[in-house]
Amino acid sequence: MRFFACLVLVLTGAAHAADVLHLYNWNNYIPDQTVARFEASCRCRLVQDYYSDNEEMLAKLAAGASGYDLIVPTGNAVETLIRSQQLRPLDKRLLPNLKNLDPAYLDAAFDRSNRYSVPYAYTITLIGYNEQKMRELGLPTDTWAVIFEPKYLAKLKGRVTVLDSQRELMAAALKYLGYSVNDTDEAHWRRARDLILRAKPYWAAFNASSYIKELTVGNIWLAHGYSSDMFQARQDAQHAGRPFSIGYATPREGAVLALDSMVLHKTGPRPDLAHRFINFMLEGRNSAELTNLIGSGNPNRAALPFIDPAIAANRAIFPTPEIQRRLEMLKDLDRNQRRVLSRMWTEIKVR
Amino acid sequence: MRKPSWWLWAAALAVYAFLYLPLLIVVVYSFNDSRLNAEWVGFTFKWYAELFSDADMLLAARNSVLIALAASLVATVLGTMAGLAIHRYRLRILPILTFTPVAMPEILLGVSLLLFFNLVFRPWLGLELGLWSVIVAHITFCIGFVTIVVRVSLLGLDGSIFEAARDLGASPWQTFRLVTLPLILPAVVAGALMSFALSLDDFVITFFTAGVGVSTLPLQIYSMLKIAVTPEVNAVSTLLMAFTLSLIVLASRIHRGALRGRP
Amino acid sequence: MRGCSSMHDRLTRWLVSLPPTLFLLVFFVAPSLIMVVASFRLPGDYGGLAPLVADGHWQLTLETYRFFFSDFIYTEIFIRSFGVALATTLICILLAYPLAWLIARSPKRHRDLMVLLAILPFASNFLIRIYAWMIILGPQAALARAVNGVLAGLGFEPVSLLFSPFAVLVGMVYVHLPFMILPLYTNLDRHDPVLLDAAQDLGANAWRRFWRVTWPLSLPGIYSGSALVFIPVLGMFAIPEILGGTGDILIGNLIKEQFLGTRDWPFGSTLSIMLTVTVLACAGLAAWFARRGAGRHA
Repeated sequence: MRFFACLVLVLTGAAHAADVLHLYNWNNYIPDQTVARFEASCRCRLVQDYYSDNEEMLAKLAAGASGYDLIVPTGNAVETLIRSQQLRPLDKRLLPNLKNLDPAYLDAAFDRSNRYSVPYAYTITLIGYNEQKMRELGLPTDTWAVIFEPKYLAKLKGRVTVLDSQRELMAAALKYLGYSVNDTDEAHWRRARDLILRAKPYWAAFNASSYIKELTVGNIWLAHGYSSDMFQARQDAQHAGRPFSIGYATPREGAVLALDSMVLHKTGPRPDLAHRFINFMLEGRNSAELTNLIGSGNPNRAALPFIDPAIAANRAIFPTPEIQRRLEMLKDLDRNQRRVLSRMWTEIKVR
Repeated sequence: MRKPSWWLWAAALAVYAFLYLPLLIVVVYSFNDSRLNAEWVGFTFKWYAELFSDADMLLAARNSVLIALAASLVATVLGTMAGLAIHRYRLRILPILTFTPVAMPEILLGVSLLLFFNLVFRPWLGLELGLWSVIVAHITFCIGFVTIVVRVSLLGLDGSIFEAARDLGASPWQTFRLVTLPLILPAVVAGALMSFALSLDDFVITFFTAGVGVSTLPLQIYSMLKIAVTPEVNAVSTLLMAFTLSLIVLASRIHRGALRGRP
Repeated sequence: MRGCSSMHDRLTRWLVSLPPTLFLLVFFVAPSLIMVVASFRLPGDYGGLAPLVADGHWQLTLETYRFFFSDFIYTEIFIRSFGVALATTLICILLAYPLAWLIARSPKRHRDLMVLLAILPFASNFLIRIYAWMIILGPQAALARAVNGVLAGLGFEPVSLLFSPFAVLVGMVYVHLPFMILPLYTNLDRHDPVLLDAAQDLGANAWRRFWRVTWPLSLPGIYSGSALVFIPVLGMFAIPEILGGTGDILIGNLIKEQFLGTRDWPFGSTLSIMLTVTVLACAGLAAWFARRGAGRHA
């Protein structure tokens, strides 16, 4: 009998909240230094789980993942989470640093008056490349054509990766064809699919997480990915003393802007710690640290004085108004559209 | 008895080699002083050291053991009961119930349990997925194994013993406790050990019923395979293999026919 | 005394058979039924399932099944999974037979050990077994370099052994081989050597002895082994995901993606039901063959 009691105690012991904050975040989206500083300031522990795609995160949550205090979804995913009633509204009284944010990023369509979300960082999904190789081969680096056109791809066969994300890859194809990333016309989707299928034989892989490493090491010369990942690839290549450097640019046809926000999941056991984290990340210095270390775009005005001028001048991280006009945020699809897209994605993978 | 011809020996040895070489490579490279599993560089224990200082891995190991203990315990009890019931009372539904989870593709069980936990347990009982959902899932497919092993063991017993016990006035419980159980105990223990090993090694069903946050050793290995492969995977694989291997050898020692389904 | 014991007997019967039956009804039958119903439900607006009843009427539809057949791609993946399962089974038979035969013909004192040796790889976690082939077939490893060296010498482009249908097949065979060895050996072990002696006395050579005596007698073992290999392979997703390329996905991968990727639970359930139907059909077919075979050669 005692054995069973002990067993039950040990089993349930894991559920004790203690001073632990559970964060479900993108890969490589918060530097270790920032984590350490937060843990010191709140005298608590930050435990992270990672995802590399909004769809993956949403699916895991729908399938019963729970116990996350904080999640960092992109705009369209925030909308899904709000509508499916998975979020806790914010207690703005605990967030005095909200005033630091640039109003341009507040009150977005997916969360009017920011009842549930606080902007964290933004990235642009663009092209990262090995500067030396692209120059050698005489290839353009400011257009999606270099990923989709066989005439360019022929020189890059086996050296290109694209994101393993339905929405992102279709968005890139749609942009290249001149459509909006939120276009839901099935005929346009079919054109995008055919474009992708034509280019697929030249691509090495569909990759969402390890392409940074491949770029840095030199196995891959061109990658479709997030601006923050490309920034880190560039840093890594420099530190490793590679004979080449990694460049990245927003294609002129336009791209996807992903505004990631911090939200509180309703099954999180420590909303108090979650609020503290959000307030911590809204401090100018901490938010700037994020940008300086991982190269993400920054919606925080108080952070500007602390941001490395070289990064602030980088147009792929802080786009000019002219580029901003060509950027779009993804909107969520309805269930029928999701199904059609899913079938198209299967075709893309298999054919 | 004719001696088997040489080519038969050769073919059989080739198959043995095919079975063992890959595993040997995993074990050998766990001691390799190189991040890549390509060439032998030097002998080292550092991957094992890294393993034991990896908090995620240790937590996963703890979860795996807890789940396996709980699941094999309950599955052994329920499975033994099922084996006895089927043998004694010639039931028809129970055999199908116990055997089907074992026979069908694991993904179907995993997915249906995922649906079940999300549609029934979460809304009605407010329970989130966690250790317990994995334990329940493991019990479901382990019961079948124990049932089969116990049944086969019972088939090998001489029924007259039970008749004699009854004629001497023993109640069913006494018959079970003093006559049946001692006779089938090797099979029960073997079944328990096999359930433990199966639960420890299970991947597919755990994958769907764990929710995130609960990690077991196979799930850890899987995420390492998907994200960043280091020889730490070799190290944990070697240890896991050694452990389940000893369990299975133990099980076969205790009950000779456990593996072959013979009494 | 008699009446007392029979009531006692019935009580015992319920006591012993009820707990496992109840457990399995709740955690196996109920989930399966839920899955059947889910395949007819509408998808939720934000993933998952739409409510079963809305505005006073049932929200059930055949749309999901129609969607499955609306494009050949899904049937194509089913057919491909079938092919992989078939190929794996055949290769397993080919590899398992000599080994099982050898063990059955070995002196009794060696047999248990040889069986144990054949089964022990099964003791390792199957992810480990897959990982082993990731190493062996990897581009840096000796095998790939050797093969590509030969290909380069012949003027062909380098080929990747990993992330290919070949790797998937190797992985499938490797993981499931022990399941073929065991039933086959159990069957071969029971063959009476007298039959073979008689056949030889009647003038049959080695091949005829095998084909006319051993093989037919071993068919039941082949069938159970095949069932133990074919059915799990149909539902596998980890091997194609880890060892296969993007185009090597099988049914299992599709199902997994519906639940953990696209959040289209009705479609995932439909795929699972189609898989179940396929499995039941195959099992039924195998049982029918086995009965026919046993009847003919009894």
